[in-house]
Amino acid sequence: MGEVIVVTSGKGGVGKTTTTANVGTGLAKLDKKVVLIDTDIGLRNLDVVMGLENRIVYNLVDVIEGTCKINQAFIKVKGYNNFYLLPSAQTRDKTAITPEQMKKLTDQLKEEFDYVIIDCPAGIEQGFHNAIAGADRALVVTTPEVSAVRDADRIIGLLEANEIKNIHIIVNRLRMDMVKRGDMMSSEDVIEILAIPLIGVVPDDENIVISTNQGAPLVGNNTMAGKAYMNICKRVDGEEVPFLDLAAKGGFFGRLFKKN
Amino acid sequence: MNNAVVIKGTTYGFSVYMDEQADFATITKEVAEKFKESAKFFGNAKMAISFSGKTLTDEQQRQLLDVIAENSQVHIVCVIDKNSEAEEEHRRSLEDHLNAMDSSNGQFYKGNLRSGQVLETETSIIILGDVNQGATITSKGNIIVLGALLGNVYAGAGGNENAFVMALDLDPVQIRIADTIARAPDKVGKMLWKREKEHTKEPKIAFRSGNNIFIEPVSRTVLNDIKL
Repeated sequence: MGEVIVVTSGKGGVGKTTTTANVGTGLAKLDKKVVLIDTDIGLRNLDVVMGLENRIVYNLVDVIEGTCKINQAFIKVKGYNNFYLLPSAQTRDKTAITPEQMKKLTDQLKEEFDYVIIDCPAGIEQGFHNAIAGADRALVVTTPEVSAVRDADRIIGLLEANEIKNIHIIVNRLRMDMVKRGDMMSSEDVIEILAIPLIGVVPDDENIVISTNQGAPLVGNNTMAGKAYMNICKRVDGEEVPFLDLAAKGGFFGRLFKKN
Repeated sequence: MNNAVVIKGTTYGFSVYMDEQADFATITKEVAEKFKESAKFFGNAKMAISFSGKTLTDEQQRQLLDVIAENSQVHIVCVIDKNSEAEEEHRRSLEDHLNAMDSSNGQFYKGNLRSGQVLETETSIIILGDVNQGATITSKGNIIVLGALLGNVYAGAGGNENAFVMALDLDPVQIRIADTIARAPDKVGKMLWKREKEHTKEPKIAFRSGNNIFIEPVSRTVLNDIKL
């Protein structure tokens, strides 16, 4: 029996979809059977980030409403045997499905897959409740900004209230140079506030923007972000991986001030 | 003389007005007569009763209630005291007692309170965990946080001005005790997430004095001044 993981944040624009795409792809690279579900109904873009927009025929709402069979809506990801995307609907809204229906769907999918990864919409309304309904664990993405951390705190409270206790933090878009100057929160600062274990730190890397724009997740390649995401995937899968030295590029002094 | 006593029905019972000049024997006789006359009308209703016009001793009051019981089927369930001064005093002592109970009784809460979460208690509360910014605790009594208190707190919510707030790391956004509110200083040109340099993590206590809220390190002297 597989695991249902929801990727959530509260605040928008912190990197939920990018994280879903990269963690999903990384787990598929680790030979896991993975399906990604985009629950951001009306604002779908996981398919775009995955470079699969042109293959969408049916979507999540079609599956829930019984318009199609679940296998008809699955989009096979190029280059993998057991990696699929269930895209969101673009012409409907969050009320098109209910948390009960989502739970039923994910319960069914985790029988078949190792990981069911759910891309949660921003906010704490119905879209959020749909996304977390069947989740066994959560990856909470935040950037090192007070607003994002505040929203992450709110989200963690809601997850705990919904009996989701297995929660980890991903600190995204960290800039070590700013942290060293004292102009940005460090991952330690974030964790001190949230009091939830850290599962990964992703540096602010322009390669992410490039890969997102190309519709090809960079997880596992030789960039800092690619390595950071691969490490997150391994930790999600239970492997113990030391945290990357994000300051490594900063030369000798960077290594002296090793922070992450 | 048949006007020493006037009985009026109100929504919940009888008001018995007595002539101040009349002697008690007359009043007893008249009460007996009047209740006997209307016994059929009142039936066996459950009523409250109040006496006024003449000050009665407890003994006399009891005698009148006996007379009513003998002469009618009415059940007098309570005697309402019309003496408003005494009533006010009773109310005050009751409230003081309840307030004292709220402060000296407490309960525990284990876990972190996160942004958007609200904890309200009738008694004092001890929290084993952090209270993050955006979270709110309201207590009629005292609030003690064994962790970081960074959110909003409201102690003495029932008006208890002696209520206090204590935390291992006391740095709330807003702190309210009874009807006095204090807020954290503005951080102009500073990083919102950075804690003040002078902010040492030692246990502190916030209490109200005059119309101000003071925050001081927990010491024997401060604790001696606490009134529960």
